[in-house]
Amino acid sequence: MSEEFNWLDYAEPDEEAPAPSARPGLRRFLPRRPTLPSLPGRPRLPSLPSIPSLPRLPRLRRRAQPALDKPSAADLLSVHEERPLDELDDRLQSLRERAVASSQPEAEARQALYDVDELLAAPEILRKPGGVISAAALSKAQRQQVELLKDIVGAPQAGDASVSRIRLSPPLFSLSAIPRIIGTAVLLLMASLPFVSSDFAEGELPPSEFHEDRHGPTTLYNLLDNLTPADYVLVAFEYGPTAAGELDAIAELFLRHIVAQRAVPLIVSSNPIAIAHAQNIISRVNRSVAFSGESLRHGRDYFILRYLPGGPLGLRELSENFADVARVSYKGTLTGLQFDSLDDVTYVVMIAERAEDMRNWAEQVAPQLDRTPLLAASGYAAAPLAQVYADSMDEIVGLVVGYRDAYTYAEMLEANFAELLRDASELGSGSAEASPAKIDEQPRNEAAQAERPLATAVPPASAIPPPAVAPLPTTTPRPPNTETPTETALPTATATQQMISVVEVTSPRQVRIRRGPTTADDILQLAQAGDMFQIIATNGDGSWYNIALSNGLDGWIAGILVEEKALSMAEFLGGGGEASARLSDERVYLRREWSLSLGKNRPRYYQSNAPITGDIPEYVLMRDRSAEVPRLRAMTLGTLTTVVTIALGNVIFALSALRRRQRNGERK
Amino acid sequence: MGRAGLAGIVAFAVGLTTVLSLLLGNNPALFGDQPGSEELARRLALPGDVLLRLLVIVIALSIVIGIVNLLYIHIGRLTRGKFYSAVLLASFAFTIFWLTVNRGDTSLLEAVQVPIESALAALLFLSLALGGARVMQKRADIWGLLFVAVVLSVLLGSLPLAELAPVRAFSAWLLAVPVSAGARAILLGIALGTIVVGVRAVLGLDRSYRG
Repeated sequence: MSEEFNWLDYAEPDEEAPAPSARPGLRRFLPRRPTLPSLPGRPRLPSLPSIPSLPRLPRLRRRAQPALDKPSAADLLSVHEERPLDELDDRLQSLRERAVASSQPEAEARQALYDVDELLAAPEILRKPGGVISAAALSKAQRQQVELLKDIVGAPQAGDASVSRIRLSPPLFSLSAIPRIIGTAVLLLMASLPFVSSDFAEGELPPSEFHEDRHGPTTLYNLLDNLTPADYVLVAFEYGPTAAGELDAIAELFLRHIVAQRAVPLIVSSNPIAIAHAQNIISRVNRSVAFSGESLRHGRDYFILRYLPGGPLGLRELSENFADVARVSYKGTLTGLQFDSLDDVTYVVMIAERAEDMRNWAEQVAPQLDRTPLLAASGYAAAPLAQVYADSMDEIVGLVVGYRDAYTYAEMLEANFAELLRDASELGSGSAEASPAKIDEQPRNEAAQAERPLATAVPPASAIPPPAVAPLPTTTPRPPNTETPTETALPTATATQQMISVVEVTSPRQVRIRRGPTTADDILQLAQAGDMFQIIATNGDGSWYNIALSNGLDGWIAGILVEEKALSMAEFLGGGGEASARLSDERVYLRREWSLSLGKNRPRYYQSNAPITGDIPEYVLMRDRSAEVPRLRAMTLGTLTTVVTIALGNVIFALSALRRRQRNGERK
Repeated sequence: MGRAGLAGIVAFAVGLTTVLSLLLGNNPALFGDQPGSEELARRLALPGDVLLRLLVIVIALSIVIGIVNLLYIHIGRLTRGKFYSAVLLASFAFTIFWLTVNRGDTSLLEAVQVPIESALAALLFLSLALGGARVMQKRADIWGLLFVAVVLSVLLGSLPLAELAPVRAFSAWLLAVPVSAGARAILLGIALGTIVVGVRAVLGLDRSYRG
């Protein structure tokens, strides 16, 4: 495919010529294809003399004067008086200017074309014999179009040696480019002003919470916020450097949110450059963490898995053979991860640049997910198609779109973790290990970290949720500015014998646990068949249960999807004794739940395990956000300028078209 | 039987095996509650699984072949004095050298490729904006007017200005109803087209492997 087709010297082989008898290569040993007897053709109709057989030419050429035998484009332009030259688009005008410019010094070329004042010269095309394309056979219609193109551009016919070739020298500047240059300059200027001065602060910043009508992004945030250190999250980087400006922010925020809670992201992509780019995002996260020794390490805190070749086929392999994919890192080394299937990861997060990526993931991966939701984010270009999938498929949660949603996500994330940091700071006034400064000095659970890559992935903690209150051993400190001074009961030896009311999920499909007892409330968590939760309360008619979740939150689950049971604590934990023992060793802090709906929910506090095996606020809070606001302002101002440019340009051109039509009407 | 016929038969057999394996494999419910149905479903899934993995390996190998072919072509162009081919080959050699010396370093990607591709995306925006301003020059009719009106509505709807709340509502409706309907129609078309192309490929009607 390396050779270019020589349009000028191309000569179609005579169709009537007999085929060569000797066949090249090994084909001579193959049997010849038998010749089928010819079928009777269509009867030849007599030609009608009254209808002239016109060649298939564009309208411009049919209107040319018949005196010209083989007119060139320059001829057509010069003789076609009905259409002024300024109506032609820039490309044709530029071609014409180049033809005029190049024909001035080329007297020989002018002489070669009889009675032509202006010349559109053909660029020099060198012939390279052989090659794949030059051997390609053209259809009859294509041959006619080649000849037509030669006629229009005034190219010499094959074998016409009288016309010398002209080397074009394009002009450095064309007058027709002035409007484009002005428009570009204005757009660039307006988009740059917010970076120079804060006086150009047009428009509002994105909200600090997702709008209450947008349940998708809110649910996505909630699900990632419920991660625990035992969770693995598959993060698909399906965007290249072209979309880095738009999607880097949300990719970085997702990673920060995941690693801040000590969950482990497994990065994967069907785009090889995206894998390398993911390393840069990780480096950016690491650079922002000030204290030493806490940076993320490949193979311990995150994994980058091998490249998935083949587009949709690669994704198919991911969903069918995730155990194999997770076994090898992008460096070709063994990761030590052992998974049975894609359902062993807690969530799949996908960041798509193109609608095609979203389609591939929705069609190849999402149907294979039984328990794991797919959380989706995309750029603006892919959003219309991606939103259709997010709205249609229960497995897909989202959609977070573009840079503005990334800003809102960052606001929510930072408010949440800043509150945690403040709580920890104030709580730690009496205990050294609780202060944020001391967080860094706490010895990391090295044994657990060392085991992590080798550990078999376990189902998410929500599968066997420990009760939210009972096993917590310490007095819960009072959070600032709150009226919730809850003191948790001290565990007793008989605590495990206590009978409690629980619900067991009986629905075979994934069940949504919501913030309130209606389907309109936000989704907090997902549950599978067999999961059990302790009952806190019921709503008025008993159709919804208020249940305790593993992370200290409480949620609501529909009664028709569960079955109520009475179990002892030991039965309820069912092998979770280890978990309760582990919990008893950890400090318990109060953490404020982020109020997700403006003016709807009051802030409240729940218990969380922090900071030793819990959240690391520094990963979220130590971001450089200095360029975010000017950039959002620039987006607003740039869009506004674009609107004005498009509106103004089209009004001018529409008026011009109307005046032209009026003038043509008067002439007729 | 010629080479084309043989290739067609192989393609047909492989395609049919894969389709049947994907449809019947890993789905024991198809065979009822009889003993051994799970094993049967697992065995049925095996051919499709193996063939798909082979295909993925072939695709991965084709990337290597593509790189070798690219180098071969540009070395050939270099002998004819093509400057851009020299730049490409020098960049290729430098990148390989850099990554060999600084193993795992992605600063070249961050410092060169990301800015260049981002700049190209910005250029595309400028071209689209200027092209949008000239719609009525090319097509001064009702369809051009409709196009411009929709573009302006969507752009105005995306602006975070309180004064444009009605336009924002209209823009949201536009995206939620007509655009969503169009997107679903496109998805249906893609699905139907994929089926047609798949059937043509399996039946050997496509030219690629007919010799």
